[in-house]
Amino acid sequence: MYKYDHIDQTLVDQRVAQFRDQVARRLNGTLAEEEFRPLRLQNGLYHQRHAYMLRVAIPYGLFNSKQLRTMALIAEKYDRGYGHFTTRQNIQYNWVTLEDTPDILAELAKVEMHAIQTSGNCIRNITSDAFAGVAGDEYVDPRPVCELLRQWSTLHPEFAHLPRKFKFAVNGAKEDRTVLLCHDVGIELKKNKAVNNGELTADIYAGGGMGRTPILGSLIQTDLPWQLLPSYLTALLRVYNRFGRRDNLYKARIKILVKALGPEEFARQVEGEWLHIKNGDDNFTQAEWDRVAKHFTKPAYKSLTALTNEQVINIASEADKTAFARWLERNVKPHQVPGYASVILSLKPHGTVAPGDATTAQMLAIADLADQYSFGELRVTHEQNLVLADVEQAKLYALWQEAKKQKVALPNVGLLTDIIACPGGDFCSLANAKSLPIAKAIQERFDDLDYLFDLGDISLNISGCINSCGHHHVGNIGVLGVDKDGEEWYQITLGGEQGNDAAIGKVIGPSFYADEIPDVITNIINTYVAHRNEDESFIDAYGRLGVIPFKEAAYQNAKKKGEADKTVGEDA
Amino acid sequence: MSNSNPTKLIQSHAQVLLFPREGKPFLAPNEWQVWDVQDESGLPAEYANSKVLVPFTWWRSQLDSRHEGSDVLTKAKKGQIGVWFAADDDILQHAELIESGKQYWPLVAAYFPLFRDGRSFSTAALLRDRLGWDKEIRMIGDVLIDQLLQGARVGFDSFALRHDQNLDVALKQFDLFTVTTQNSWRGKRSLLAIS
Ligand code: HEM
Ligand code: SF4
Repeated sequence: MYKYDHIDQTLVDQRVAQFRDQVARRLNGTLAEEEFRPLRLQNGLYHQRHAYMLRVAIPYGLFNSKQLRTMALIAEKYDRGYGHFTTRQNIQYNWVTLEDTPDILAELAKVEMHAIQTSGNCIRNITSDAFAGVAGDEYVDPRPVCELLRQWSTLHPEFAHLPRKFKFAVNGAKEDRTVLLCHDVGIELKKNKAVNNGELTADIYAGGGMGRTPILGSLIQTDLPWQLLPSYLTALLRVYNRFGRRDNLYKARIKILVKALGPEEFARQVEGEWLHIKNGDDNFTQAEWDRVAKHFTKPAYKSLTALTNEQVINIASEADKTAFARWLERNVKPHQVPGYASVILSLKPHGTVAPGDATTAQMLAIADLADQYSFGELRVTHEQNLVLADVEQAKLYALWQEAKKQKVALPNVGLLTDIIACPGGDFCSLANAKSLPIAKAIQERFDDLDYLFDLGDISLNISGCINSCGHHHVGNIGVLGVDKDGEEWYQITLGGEQGNDAAIGKVIGPSFYADEIPDVITNIINTYVAHRNEDESFIDAYGRLGVIPFKEAAYQNAKKKGEADKTVGEDA
Repeated sequence: MSNSNPTKLIQSHAQVLLFPREGKPFLAPNEWQVWDVQDESGLPAEYANSKVLVPFTWWRSQLDSRHEGSDVLTKAKKGQIGVWFAADDDILQHAELIESGKQYWPLVAAYFPLFRDGRSFSTAALLRDRLGWDKEIRMIGDVLIDQLLQGARVGFDSFALRHDQNLDVALKQFDLFTVTTQNSWRGKRSLLAIS
C-alpha cells in the first residue's frame, strides 16, 4: 500500500493548518458562511440536516488497520460511535462539530489520511476496483495510476472551482467493478502487445454520471500512453472549466457539455488543447512511476496449493458446513495467487440501521482481523462493504467465525438485501424522502437466506432524491425518493445495471407510498420467479420479458392515488 | 452572461498585493482603475490622465472601428491602458489581437465575477502557457483571501482583493504550502525532486 513520503506528509499537515485558520476566521466572523462554504466542502465538511458531516477520503478504496483504528477512534471521540462507508470509497461521520474538525483532520494526518477534495466543485477522491491488485480477472493493477492521479489532482490550482464536482474512476479488470461509465471521466487501463509496445495505455470515457440526467460516458480517446494522462486530463478539464455551464446547477456537469457538443466535437476540442501541452513536462515520468509503483508490490504470500471449495468447506464443523458454504459462495472471491482468496465483510446485516455503517467496536475488531488474516490491509467497495483481500483459503473458516461475532458475515453479497442506500432524509438536507427505513423494510421482508440464494444476483439501490447518491439508476431495481406536496413518495426503476453491460434503469410509472414498497418489490420478484428460465438471472429475465409483466405486477394492488401522480416523471 | 458583463464591478481594495514570480509578496498602491463599459462609447473623461484597465471586448470594438492615431491608441502608447478579460472571453479566439496588445499593455487582468467561478484560472494559465504573456496578470473582481494561492500558482502575480479583505491575512497565504504535487507557473512539482 502507498506510503506517504515527506512531501505528501508535509502537504497534508499544511492543509490541516490552512483549514484550521479558515475555521478560525469563520468562527471570528471575518469569513462569511457563504464564502466559507466552498472551502469547507473542499475539505469534506457538509452542513447536514442535524449537524456537520465530515467525509474522509479513502483513495481508491485502499486502507490499513492502523488507519481503520483511527477512523474508529474518531467515531468514538468526535462522533456517536459509528462511521458510514460510502459508494465513493469514503467514510463519513454524521455528527461532528465545526470546532472539532481541524483536530479530526490532524488525527487523520497522523495516519496519512485527509479529507481533501472529498466534496466541492473540484476533482473528487479517485475511485477504483476494490479488488485491485488481487482480482482473478485483472489485467492491469490500476493502483499506481490511481495514486499518481491522486497526487496530480490534490490541490490542483487551475481546477479548484470547476462548474461542478468532478469524479474519476479507474478500471483495470475484465469485469468493471467501478461503474466506470457513470463517472465524469472513466479511465480504462489496458496492456496490449499490439499497442505502444505492450506498455500501459488508457481509454478515456467522458461525460457519464447519474443525478437528474443519467448518462453513460462516451469513449473520447483510445490508447493514451499512461505518461500522458496529466496533460490529456488537463486539456479535458480546461475545456470543461472554460465552457461547462455555470448558469444552472443541474446543467453544470461535464455530461451536459459532452451531450451538447456531441462526444466527437468535445473530443476534438480536448485534442485541440492537448496538442499544445502534450509534450510538456506535466506528464508523468518513469521515475515517478517507479517511486509510486514500488508500494504496490505483492505482499509476502506463502507458496500454497490452491484448495477446492470442497476442501475449504471440509475444514468447518458439521454444524457449520451449510452456513459456511453459503458464505464461501457469496462473500469469497477468487484471487490471483494460489491458496488465497478475497473476502467481503458485509456491512448490510438484515435490519441494519444504515447500509455501510460500522460501529467503533466493529471497526476495531475488523482492524484486528485485517492484521491477523490479510497483511493489515483493507478495502471499501462501492457497494458499501469492506474487503480483506489476501486471506489464506485454509484460514477462511476461522475468519468466518470471527466475522460472525462482529455481525459482518451475512452471506448476502450481490443478493437482494445487499442494498446500496444513501443516508436519505434521516441525515441529508437535500433528501426528498427517507432511504434507510425503506432498506430496512426490504431486508426484513426478504429475511430468508434460502430464498435469497434461490433468487441469485439482484441489485437493489435506493436514493433519497434525484442526486442518486444511492446509485438507483444502475440498480436492477432502483428506488428513488420523490417529493409531492410535502409528502414522501417512491419511484421504481427497473433494468439498471452496473458492470460491463452498464445500463440506466427505466421508470415504470407513478410512484408509491413508503409502506407499499415491500409489496411492490415482492410482486416484482414473484414475477421474476414465475417467468424465469432455469439459471436465468433477474436482469436477463427482465431483458427477455420486457417491463410489462413487472409493471403490471408492481401496480396490481397499488393504492388509488390522485391525478397529480402522473406528473412524476424522470425529472421528479 | 450577466455575471461576466457586470453592471458594476466589485469594489477593490485601495492597495494591491503583488507577488512576482521570483520574489516575495508585498503591498503597493493600486495605480490602475478598472473601467466597466456597458456600451460602445468612448473612454470617459475621468480616465483621461489615469491608468485604466478596459474590457478586452471594448478594446476589440475600438480596433475594429479604429482610425489610426485614435485617442485610445495614443493613450495606450503612453502605457496607460491595459485590458481585462471577462470570465467568458474566449482568449484563444483572439490570440493575434493579444499578441499585438503585448506592445501596448503593461498588464492585463482577468475578472472573477464570483469567487467560486474558476474560469479565470484557466484564462491565466492559457495566457502564460499558450500565449506567452510574461508581464503582470492581475486578479480582479470577487477576489478573496482563499483564492490567492490558486491564483498565484496558475499565473497571476497581482491581486486586487475585494475591499473588505484583510490584507495582512492575505499576505500570509503564500507561505502556507512549501510543497506541491503538480507543476504550476511558479515551479515544478516537489515530487519530481525525489523520484
Ligand atoms: C449526506 C450528504 C450528501 C449530499 C449533500 C450529497 C449531495 C449530492 C449531490 C448534490 C449529488 C448530485 C450530483 C449531480 O447533480 O449529478 C450527489 C450525487 C452522488 N453522490 Fe452524494 N451526497 C451526499 C451523500 C452521499 C453519500 C453518503 C454517498 C455514498 C453513499 C454519495 C455518493 C454520491 C454518488 C455516487 C453520486 C452520484 C452520481 C454522480 O456523480 O453522477 N453521496 N450527491
Ligand atoms: S441521493 Fe439525495 S438524499 Fe440521498 S444522500 Fe444524495 S443528496 Fe442526500
